[in-house]
Amino acid sequence: MSATHPLMLDHPAPLARVADRDISRRAFLADVHALAGQLPEASAGFNLCTDRYHFAVAFAALVLRGQINLLPPNRCRTTLAELAARFPDAHALVDSADVEIAAPCRWVDAAGLRTPETGTVPEIPLDQTAVLAFSSGSTGHPTAHARHWGALVAVTRQARARFDLDRDPGQTLVATVPPQHMYGLESTVLYALLGYSRLLADCPFYPGDIHAALAEAGQATLVTTPFHLNTCLRSPLDWPPTRRILCATAPLDPNLAARAETGFHAPLREIYGCTEAGAIASREPTRDTTWMTYDGVILERDPATGLARAQGPQHPDAVLLPDHIEPLDERHFRMQGRLADQLNIAGKRASLAELNQRLNAIPGVEDGVFLAPAADPRSSHVQRLAALVVAPGLSEQEILTRLAESIDAVFLPRPLVRIEELPRTATGKLPRERLLDLLATQGECA
Amino acid sequence: MSEQTAFEQEVAGLIVDSLNLEEVAAEDIDPEAPLFREGLGLDSIDALELALAISRAYGVQIRSDDENNRQIFASLRALAAHIEANRAPV
Repeated sequence: MSATHPLMLDHPAPLARVADRDISRRAFLADVHALAGQLPEASAGFNLCTDRYHFAVAFAALVLRGQINLLPPNRCRTTLAELAARFPDAHALVDSADVEIAAPCRWVDAAGLRTPETGTVPEIPLDQTAVLAFSSGSTGHPTAHARHWGALVAVTRQARARFDLDRDPGQTLVATVPPQHMYGLESTVLYALLGYSRLLADCPFYPGDIHAALAEAGQATLVTTPFHLNTCLRSPLDWPPTRRILCATAPLDPNLAARAETGFHAPLREIYGCTEAGAIASREPTRDTTWMTYDGVILERDPATGLARAQGPQHPDAVLLPDHIEPLDERHFRMQGRLADQLNIAGKRASLAELNQRLNAIPGVEDGVFLAPAADPRSSHVQRLAALVVAPGLSEQEILTRLAESIDAVFLPRPLVRIEELPRTATGKLPRERLLDLLATQGECA
Repeated sequence: MSEQTAFEQEVAGLIVDSLNLEEVAAEDIDPEAPLFREGLGLDSIDALELALAISRAYGVQIRSDDENNRQIFASLRALAAHIEANRAPV
């Protein structure tokens, strides 16, 4: 018999806050059992719920039924269609009408209103695959990464210890990241399910939302990104005292970190993680330039690729990390930046190869290329991509509409410039300098 | 295209400046056309940036749970009306 861990920690602190009600762990369990009993036989289900409580119920119901949570990288129509084709027996759990997927859909509207369940908390095998998350790979297609139940249990235990999360049972997680994102999943749903924190059903987005959520929760943990922190600190609001800030998805400027600690009256911890490995390390950006791995996680250099790889309780097999990482010793490293092909816009990752492949797959596009203009350090604006496209029969708007079906809106090119021919060299390469020149001159004519 | 009112002109200027829309002239924004996707092609990052600019210029905090949040950003006209209805008295 394989080792197991309970589906949730059972204690008196609430698991969630829905509207203005606390939801007990036992009421949550009743919602999970009710949904699990309605799920069709399948190996996997898409968890597309946007409300974080709905997501948590759907997540636990799938795990309870031994089904994998499929977490798509975005909600675009083509992305979902491709994944549905890859997992033909999967069903989907949804809570909003704006999502379109070719799979049997079940509506989730759990609200913690059922009679709390009194039985034992179910045990889940540690080696059960709980999650498949997808990254944008250099092959041009989303790559699936499996996380076992044991890995999720291990990383949550490490994070609880690292960030002293168990100090105030029932403390609230106010998060601006969606639960389908690995960081959002780990730092909200799992901290609540497998810890002592309380998650908020809402996903606050505007500074006004975040302010209201923090003020209502009192001494909450803000789980956010550099992009959202920067927006909050530029707003004229005074921030209520906060217990701590957790930040991930993109490198955080130490000056912004210092301003955040002052503005929110809270210590800030930066998390390093990726879809491939989950969270593996953290640092205090106002003090440390180096990262320290979570307890039990060690780093080494992979001799074949030269990349760093992580090994720990959550990675029985070493996982290659998709960044330039310089290990200083087994537990400490410096982050030197992204791999050349990887983009990060407002905390969202994509590979140039995949974006180019999507662009060139559009009927009527003869040739096309994305490029990331040089960053302007003076600008607080999010730096957008540009694209040069050869498509005589298509308008700019038609190309953008087609692209929006398969790539996240933050990666849509701005500007998209239509030209007669790309300046390919004899070997088919596209020198970046030539592309930037072309963009500059065409942009003037437009 | 219907004409922009004086206040809509002001908000159009704020949109163009705060979102760095170099290729768009403020006076060319149709006050009744959608701002997001089809119209100016704006997305959630722009919504956040615009909400920030509005809070700085007029002291109006946009909220996700505002009644009809989608309608607030439906067009320049709807956005200007929302700001006028909610801004602090001068």
